[in-house]
Amino acid sequence: MRFIDETNRASFATADRDAPKAEMGKKGVPEWMNSSLWSSSAPSATAATSGDVDRITRPSPNSDTSPRQRSPPPPPLQHPSLTFVTESLSPPIPPPNASKPEIGGDTGAGDDPLSSSISAAEISRFSAEEISRQSQLLSELSKKVIDLDELRRLAAQGIPDGAGIRPTVWKLLLGYLPNDRILWREELDKKRNQYQAFKEEFLVNPSEITRRLDESTSSRHELNSEGSEALHRLELTDDEHPLSLGKTSMWNKFFQDSEVIEQIERDVMRTHPDMHFFSGDSAVAKSNQESLRNVLIIFAKLNPGIRYVQGMNEVLAPLFYVYRNDQDANNAVFAEPDAFFCFIELLSGFRDNFCQKLDNSVVGIRSTISRFSQLLKKHDGELWRHLEITTKVNPQFYAFRWITLLLTQEFNFADALHIWDVLLSDAEGPQETLLRICCAMLILVRRRLLAGDFTSNLKLLQNYPATNISHLLYVANKLREV
Amino acid sequence: MVLVLALGDLHIPHRASDLPAKFKAMLVPGKIQHIICTGNLCIKEVHDYLKSLCPDLHITRGEYDEDARYPETKTLTIGQFKLGLCHGHQVIPWGDLDSLAMLQRQLDVDILVTGHTHQFKAYKHEGGVVINPGSATGAHSSITYEVNPSFVLMDIDGLRVVVYVYELIDGEVKVDKIDFKKTATSAAAAAH
Repeated sequence: MRFIDETNRASFATADRDAPKAEMGKKGVPEWMNSSLWSSSAPSATAATSGDVDRITRPSPNSDTSPRQRSPPPPPLQHPSLTFVTESLSPPIPPPNASKPEIGGDTGAGDDPLSSSISAAEISRFSAEEISRQSQLLSELSKKVIDLDELRRLAAQGIPDGAGIRPTVWKLLLGYLPNDRILWREELDKKRNQYQAFKEEFLVNPSEITRRLDESTSSRHELNSEGSEALHRLELTDDEHPLSLGKTSMWNKFFQDSEVIEQIERDVMRTHPDMHFFSGDSAVAKSNQESLRNVLIIFAKLNPGIRYVQGMNEVLAPLFYVYRNDQDANNAVFAEPDAFFCFIELLSGFRDNFCQKLDNSVVGIRSTISRFSQLLKKHDGELWRHLEITTKVNPQFYAFRWITLLLTQEFNFADALHIWDVLLSDAEGPQETLLRICCAMLILVRRRLLAGDFTSNLKLLQNYPATNISHLLYVANKLREV
Repeated sequence: MVLVLALGDLHIPHRASDLPAKFKAMLVPGKIQHIICTGNLCIKEVHDYLKSLCPDLHITRGEYDEDARYPETKTLTIGQFKLGLCHGHQVIPWGDLDSLAMLQRQLDVDILVTGHTHQFKAYKHEGGVVINPGSATGAHSSITYEVNPSFVLMDIDGLRVVVYVYELIDGEVKVDKIDFKKTATSAAAAAH
């Protein structure tokens, strides 16, 4: 599991020690492992058979060809501690399918505070693969002209958290950086200056504007302690006064925008309240919120057709987070303009989902959802029938949020970043991959869904349980081939 | 950027029935942060209407106001400026600059807003400004019947104030602008 947030890191480390050891082991598995979700045979943590992946052929245990081909891992690793301890307590039982055990996520093993419980062999195997992917990415990135297809292929397997690769890769995948390294400096400067110009244009209130316009004129009186005189009045020929109702008046526009701005501010306050990066009283959080706010306001002003819709803040948040935490300080400072342009790029494929008027059209959200439904029907007819017809769980009830917010709300932040690696690596745009992942999400919990009725299914899907992301992505990838 | 509306001497219902329609169209809630009213509203309904435009309402007592609880004078600080408010019928001679200056010194304010004469005036006097927003309804005064409806909107931004004067002349709204700022020295002097 990834620990990006420091507080999470600390709390997780202690959880490891507190995990009651008595529950571990073959017989005394925790209750959640016993759920029908996972096994049809022995309730062992190492149960390799997972009814949910019946339909997906498992790779041969010894396939080492692609790092993505991980064997179906043990049950979701909300508590990696459990898995580790299990493995160490039952040495005679081979780790599931002789190949690499799933330790969860793609974090550098060095970061993992639980690494001490893993056997040395497992560590080296895990790190080796992780390191190889990292070095592959680094070597690709260091080339003068980067091969985007190759980068996409590598990114689709997940980008490691270390070595500050992710910000650069995302920028390349989103087309913000050209693939020719020489052009980077120039592009970046151009874009960043453009953003600065936008800020000047859009974020200044009318009072400031009039002040600047009047700087030149000398009609300003100064209050000093001598004499008295009538203050002369300047007749205003244009309609530029605060109470103006004119359509072109900057004051009028300002007040009309203030509603949108208020909405943006409210949403920015509510973004990821559990993360210190985004929320709280620290100066860092405040400055980050300010940046989010600026980006969203400028976007709203540049796109009067769609303005701001609730949820855009959630799509922006991971971008900004990744760029702000770029290990290269020169880039981190410009996280705001970088995130702005990448946000535009990312949203360009999705903006139709946010436009209310297009809801019912061919490109709108409804049609996307029906495409999703068809995809599910194609891959898992039984589940589809059960959901849509028997229990009448309309995909709009759960998939809407999944699709419009690109799954940022369904998983923890770290997992969402990993999913985004895969989404962004798709050359045709994230939409298709997204639908496949949503399909995979349903397939992974099909047991529970088939057993449930409307209420329980809806509850499950609207609070999707934490799962192993690599496994999910693997399943989603498999759907591509079918 | 703080918008302060200054108006007064409406004399509703005795001398006028309502604000001019064009003024009413412009005065919508949500834009103005403070309202200062010189007095002579005269009834509670007008008070409620002003309150609906902006919750931060300051009123001083005019001689015809039916609510006797309004104070005679009021001071408030907005941004870097101290504003003083008084109806003006107490200052004799009515509208006399030097007498108003006495009141200004007494209240120790940068901007003094008074009414009663129903004539718009804006004077710079001895380090402060005296503004009379006139009558918002154009009600006749004790002195004259020739009154144009007028009110004032101040945009206070740091050390600078832009005063927008709205006057209804021949059925058309005319807007004028007055710009003044407090110098650093006068600000420092005021700080003592």
